Amino acid sequence: MNFSVFSFFRRFLSRFHESHREDAVALTIVEAEELENIFALLLLGSFVGLPSPPTFLAVELLPFMERELKILNRRAADAGDMLAEMCGTIGVD
Amino acid sequence: MKILFFTGKGGVGKSTMAAAAAWQLSRKSRVLIVSLDPAHNLGDIFGVALQDNKSRYADTLFLKEIDLQKLSREYLQREINVLSGTYKYLQTLNLDNYFSVLRYSPGIEEYALLTSIERTVNNETDFDYIIFDTPPTGLTLRFLALPRVTITWIDRLIQIRQKILEKRYTIHRIRGSLSNEETVLNYSEEDDDILKRLWKLNNNYQALNRILQGENCSIILVFNPDILSLKESLRLMEGLNDLYLPLRLLINNKVTEENIEMADHVEGNMKKMAKDVPIDRVSLSKTLLDGKNGKLYDIPEDITSNLL
Repeated sequence: MNFSVFSFFRRFLSRFHESHREDAVALTIVEAEELENIFALLLLGSFVGLPSPPTFLAVELLPFMERELKILNRRAADAGDMLAEMCGTIGVD
Repeated sequence: MKILFFTGKGGVGKSTMAAAAAWQLSRKSRVLIVSLDPAHNLGDIFGVALQDNKSRYADTLFLKEIDLQKLSREYLQREINVLSGTYKYLQTLNLDNYFSVLRYSPGIEEYALLTSIERTVNNETDFDYIIFDTPPTGLTLRFLALPRVTITWIDRLIQIRQKILEKRYTIHRIRGSLSNEETVLNYSEEDDDILKRLWKLNNNYQALNRILQGENCSIILVFNPDILSLKESLRLMEGLNDLYLPLRLLINNKVTEENIEMADHVEGNMKKMAKDVPIDRVSLSKTLLDGKNGKLYDIPEDITSNLL
């Protein structure tokens, strides 16, 4: 039988470590996505009535903006419940 | 190589003065005169039909009229091609041609103007003088302001982009790979397409701004002895000042015996705002009024002494 106390502990510790890493990085992931959202919003702000940069700048970068546009879209959909999302991220129940 | 921009209110004689300066300078130097005004009349002044290509008028004088619409179309076509490349699957549904609506984006004309100046300055290096005859005040100020405005925006966008990549790098260090089957996420500055494009644009505009604000660039403001012309010229001078663009010569055009008092008054007001800038006076040609002068660019006054 391959099972041993030693390998059990090794697996336990590795999962434990992984879960801590996930916790530590969760907020950074939200921050990065929020920044991507801001980037898209600044560049394409004219859609929602914000002062926008020279049009050609948005046109120049548009071909590479697929991910940012998706995030922008998702953020707009989640905007009504951002407080709950932030609480979920920082672990407040 | 020196670069001269002739600006002023519509109808003050910018094109005629630009043509006269080009003609006078071409006696000793190689000169290229480029018309950026959508209502081209450079060809009419020299009495030749001009195409988008450079044409030779004399051994040392070349003329060119820029087709702004064509430039805008070319630029947008390039962008549409990139977009259509990214969204290639739309070709199967025959929807890719809908991107062509981008050609009506506002602000593209100023961009096309700026690009044409950049291209001319970079490509026509064997001339001693390049003279640009610009469109009326509003559009001219907008396109001259464009490099600075754009650089400010690009700087801020670069900062945000770098912050995003920094965060992605942190995530990568803690959690391992960021990419999955659907998306590839870069975290290094060399791999990020958006940042690379922003850097490239930034370098282009910095270079252009250096040329526009440099020693070898001169803005020449043409005005007439009347109040409207004075008011608009003062606004233009303010605009140039805000943009740190070098105003080097004022030309008071169409002065006659009847309006000489007004000419003095207008010049006095201009002098208050630009103390060190010389003023040349050009009188309204009598033969021009008779319609007998075939050479509109051949004026008796020397307007190049302050431009050499």
